[in-house]
Amino acid sequence: MTIAALTKPWQALSYGFLDASAKRELRRKMLKAIAVPGCQMPYASREVPMARGWGTGGLQVTLTLLRPSSVVKVIDQGADDSVNAASIRSFLSKVSGATETWDTTAATILQSRHRIPEERLRADQVLVLQVPNPEPLRPVEPNMSIARQMHADADYGRLWLILYEQIVRSGRVMQGAAYPSLVNGRHVMTPSPIPRWDVPKLHMAQHLTFLSAGREKRLYAVPPFTRVEPLVFSDIPYQVEDHAALTCHRSGLRGYFMNEIPQDDGSAQFELSDSHLGIKAIRQAEGSAVEIGPTWYENGKMPQ
Amino acid sequence: MAYVATRGGARAIDQSERLYRAELGPIDAARVDEIRRALPMLIDRVMGEASLYEPDLAALALAQSGGDIYEAVLLLRAWRTTQPRLTIAEPVLQDQLFTHRRISAAFKDITGGQILGPSLDYAHRLLATDVLQGQPYVPAPVEPAATPAPARQPSLAAWQKVQGLVADPARADVAPGDIPDLTREPLLFPAQRAHTLQSLARADTGGMLALGYAAMRGYGNAHPTVNELRLAEAEVRVCHPRGTVFSAGRVKVSQAEVTAKGKSGLLELGFCATLGWNEVKVISGATLDLNAPGAAKGSPVEEEFVLYHTEPVEASGFCIHFKLPHYVTFQSSLDALRGAKQTTAPHQPEKVPA
Amino acid sequence: MSLPTSVPVPDAFETRTNATFEALMWALSRPGTVQNLPAQGMAGIAEALLDRECRVFCDDPALAVQIATFGAARVDLPLADHCFLGLGRNIDRLAHVAVGSALYPDAGATVVAEAEFGAGQRLRLTGPGIETSDEIALGGIAPEFWAMRTAVCRYPAGFDLFLICGAQVIGLPRSITIEVL
Repeated sequence: MTIAALTKPWQALSYGFLDASAKRELRRKMLKAIAVPGCQMPYASREVPMARGWGTGGLQVTLTLLRPSSVVKVIDQGADDSVNAASIRSFLSKVSGATETWDTTAATILQSRHRIPEERLRADQVLVLQVPNPEPLRPVEPNMSIARQMHADADYGRLWLILYEQIVRSGRVMQGAAYPSLVNGRHVMTPSPIPRWDVPKLHMAQHLTFLSAGREKRLYAVPPFTRVEPLVFSDIPYQVEDHAALTCHRSGLRGYFMNEIPQDDGSAQFELSDSHLGIKAIRQAEGSAVEIGPTWYENGKMPQ
Repeated sequence: MAYVATRGGARAIDQSERLYRAELGPIDAARVDEIRRALPMLIDRVMGEASLYEPDLAALALAQSGGDIYEAVLLLRAWRTTQPRLTIAEPVLQDQLFTHRRISAAFKDITGGQILGPSLDYAHRLLATDVLQGQPYVPAPVEPAATPAPARQPSLAAWQKVQGLVADPARADVAPGDIPDLTREPLLFPAQRAHTLQSLARADTGGMLALGYAAMRGYGNAHPTVNELRLAEAEVRVCHPRGTVFSAGRVKVSQAEVTAKGKSGLLELGFCATLGWNEVKVISGATLDLNAPGAAKGSPVEEEFVLYHTEPVEASGFCIHFKLPHYVTFQSSLDALRGAKQTTAPHQPEKVPA
Repeated sequence: MSLPTSVPVPDAFETRTNATFEALMWALSRPGTVQNLPAQGMAGIAEALLDRECRVFCDDPALAVQIATFGAARVDLPLADHCFLGLGRNIDRLAHVAVGSALYPDAGATVVAEAEFGAGQRLRLTGPGIETSDEIALGGIAPEFWAMRTAVCRYPAGFDLFLICGAQVIGLPRSITIEVL
């Protein structure tokens, strides 16, 4: 045996950037994440050619899944052409030969920061959410060892307490994005900083979702048809952002999550946060043959 | 396509990178070579934090990042990710190190002797401004000692163990291949000893100093005495697939052992070692290691606090990620805020303090 | 700086292990559904998942030799994170399969075994990945296995099961309830 036999012929770049051993570790952890929905699985989290906090966790999951026939969509704040989404998407296609798309319905893998697209995801699609902080207990317990024990004991009393205090102080739950949610009736997870608008899209969904925090080295999953229930009190219903009646000033669409754009005259305009849905609507209005997939929300309401 | 025109992400990021690189200009082998020769301490620091010992690559990383240390460390770590693991080297023993510098503050003299080696400790920190006037600074030549110091030196802790001053816990015989590896598995708490030492070895020098200094000032329980500080070169001994063990070369290493009297009535030791020569880092790291046992959760010297917050790639990456747009989360908070105003405003007039 | 201009192309190993993993991923995500593997048998699963970071238990000497080439250490059943074994008999030993703990559910083992699909014991599956409930039939598994699984898998601790029939796989994660009909 020679030293050369231990290694492989030199390549400028492994397929999908990650080497085989990194992929195997991710595969093992991704399977465990599916087996225990919403439970944070620790993983080694290799360094990738992007800074930590910029989607390295999502990137590692996506890189593990990619094959030349994959079609990838990457969004940041709902937009495909947001600078970091563009950077990640171009990296993904350059290291894998995967096809890039902006169209939610055309993608096989969707990597996202802070949003879930408005068009319904199908059973054959995988959503990869980038997670800055995987620990829903962080606001009540910054120490990760103690927080882990709390998950083991299903000890979520302090989370309920902060929600209760918010109601007492402010008359409503003040949690903005990253609303803590109970998965499969056992583990509380943070759905990543998606708006409250998007959390119901994870409940009993057709698609598979991975949530991955590269910097914090934790990944978890929501398999299809899994209960994802935001923590609420039975007499105070879960409240999504009050966007149902807002209209996008560019596309004319109404009943979806919007970006608020301050105007010089003190007013505000709204535009669709899911930018490509807006583009499709505009093109459709211009007479192009564009198909908009069924959306989760209908007339601003999520059907029960 | 009016929707897109206002954004244009792909072109923007491309031009932004060009602006940065235009400032740095072309990078050639000569520049990299000059960085490697002129800045060995910086190269050492970067290699230590990257856990990758390759001075040429470290110099290249510094050239590419224009001297931004965090960027350079990230470049090297990301490159390291792509490299196959050919073999695992034999453990390096203290008394086998080719020692350049070894000092102890705990004793006036130690077996093997105090060896100052290369140091600026007693230099007067004066800028050689004449250089800027065109007069090169040429260092005075080193005058060799009459008898050279022995290259290999015993560890001081070994003597203390014989004296019964330091606890000598039984050592588990672990095969090199079975030593837990932080780069292949996640850090969990309470951390395995190997993970703690690996994590200290690749920690951010500045972050380690900040927390180590906090411990030294009194946020830790133990006041350190430098038992032994050592700068050395270590032989990297690996086993050829045919079975022969051979040296693949030498790497510069630094290590510090600090000590304080423990509750047990014995001396306790804190230890830190890293690739490259970096005295501030190993003294700070050893001080933190000394203070970690029994520290309260959330204390700046507690293991989880120290190891999480001194990881250079994670800390710097998260810090700069706040530049990314966060308008969706902001919108979500805004909605809750407005909702709360509506519900609370009518019956809860805010009292203005007099 | 910039990536090489030529896009890397997956070799046969990459293509095969990627496809194997995708089959395993969907099998576990949709318990009870049959997914197609790129090759027959259990060795391909070991190839896609295992390396020197893993500890393996294997019943079958021939398979054990193949698995050894991927670098995993061969250990006794309770120490293994991946177990390749037969479920036709000798079920008592499953009491010793690693199930992890509530603190570290990921320490629960992945068990891979052969079975016959579409014949034999009828089972009703409910839980994550299944919209309401699903019924499947599996042969080649000792009848007492199912009670043993229920007794051992105290969620979120437990083991996850991949059943192989030729080049097909069914996944049964610890999260689902299996009712013997």
